[in-house]
Amino acid sequence: MYGADVEQVAIELNEDPQKLADFEARIARGEKIEPGDWMPSEYRRQLVRMISQHAHSEVVGMLPEGAWITRAPSLRRKLILLAKVQDEAGHGQYLYHAAETLGASREDMIDALLSGQAKYSSIFNYHTLTWADIGTIGWLVDGAAILNQTMLARCSYGPYSRANLRISMEENFHKKQGQEMVILYSQGTLKQRAMIQDAITRWWWPTLMMFGPHDKDSPNSGVLIRWGIKTRTNDELRQDFVNQLVPDLQACGISLPDHELRYDETSGNWLTGEINWEEFWQVLKGNGPANAERMAARRNAHADGLWVREALAAYAATHN
Amino acid sequence: MSDTQWSRFMVFQQAGEGEPLMHNGTVHAPDIEMALLNARDVFVRRPDATEIWVVSAEAIYSRTREELAKTIARSAKHDEAIPKPKLEDYYVFGKLSEQGQASQLGEVEASSTDAALEAAMEKYKDRQVLRWYIFPVSAVLKSKPGEAAPMFAPARDKTYKDQAEYPVVTMMRQIRATGHLEEDK
Repeated sequence: MYGADVEQVAIELNEDPQKLADFEARIARGEKIEPGDWMPSEYRRQLVRMISQHAHSEVVGMLPEGAWITRAPSLRRKLILLAKVQDEAGHGQYLYHAAETLGASREDMIDALLSGQAKYSSIFNYHTLTWADIGTIGWLVDGAAILNQTMLARCSYGPYSRANLRISMEENFHKKQGQEMVILYSQGTLKQRAMIQDAITRWWWPTLMMFGPHDKDSPNSGVLIRWGIKTRTNDELRQDFVNQLVPDLQACGISLPDHELRYDETSGNWLTGEINWEEFWQVLKGNGPANAERMAARRNAHADGLWVREALAAYAATHN
Repeated sequence: MSDTQWSRFMVFQQAGEGEPLMHNGTVHAPDIEMALLNARDVFVRRPDATEIWVVSAEAIYSRTREELAKTIARSAKHDEAIPKPKLEDYYVFGKLSEQGQASQLGEVEASSTDAALEAAMEKYKDRQVLRWYIFPVSAVLKSKPGEAAPMFAPARDKTYKDQAEYPVVTMMRQIRATGHLEEDK
């Protein structure tokens, strides 16, 4: 699909070859596709899927960290965590709105999430067991998200590109507050050093899984790259992440839970062992440690918030 | 499938005194007052706003450069839907670059949205506008100057939201050089 001739792609997708060629030429010129512009149905479908899953991830991502707001070790850390979680709520809103510009309805997207039909990032199906997990999530999970979102800020679809730009500007704070904590833990008491080692050990592999399946096992990648939705592959982003984190973590005296981890002189890359893909697919299917808990929390929040929605609607009806 | 979504409102934000407002996104809300509050919560978590506006998406008339090139006869449909016999002030926003959001160009006076667009295209003909946004001044709810303090000031005190507060580059440099952090962190 990626390198195929546009006529061939048009036939496969049942689209007008001229319109498709013009559309692809616009993208090649660096133009942004905006709401109301012509686009192939497959472009719209892929974007609605990606953007809504991204939005769900932000909102569900508030839960593992939200659990520690009442147990922060200091007022400053509490304020920082509150701000971070608040940002994630806002990011979810940017993204739901970007999906809505493609004709998706908020109601349908929320229903799909609450019914278990829609996916969200696998990483949020793991538990935060200690405060050290909060620092770890900041450096590792938000660090990974930054790589992805920086790439998506160059996406061909205007609203998604701009949403990712806005998110990226706020995300740097998320990563740095986490990195600061991990560094401090690593230079602290024996107990603190053991805590951060344990947290990194538990979060390292799930973070690598965030980048998705290997390129050869990723069915959507071809058309996403062809149409400038993604500009880098899963494996490329994952490699960048590993190259960034491994030397820094090792400098802090933290070891990675990977006996096969080695530096390759020729490529300049840190090479990892193989990811446990069985775990990845199980977690995506709903069998991760915290899937049930996450979904229950979202369903309860939706049900508990019904009176607020009804009150606002009633007020609006009587005053308009 | 019934659609019970709240109405959508476009949000415009002024980053600093005297700067043109920029379109930065949309919010859902049951009415325009809630839209203004939602807009503050969604878009102004950082100290970069002096004023925000919200406008119902239905009040906004938008045309791309391509659409205008194709249109020879003015469509009467839009005017029938929103009859405007008298002169009214309209705000004009334009998207000037591929990556960017629409920014404020100015105002025109006209008797309909189509006429307003024509007036805008004439008044701002020296600008390279990729997409025009026209809406009546009367459709806008703005944050009031007196409200700026409670709406925007809280973000300014929260310096811990600024990534520059976290000296991780310095910390890593120290660790690489000496194996530990310096005394005063």
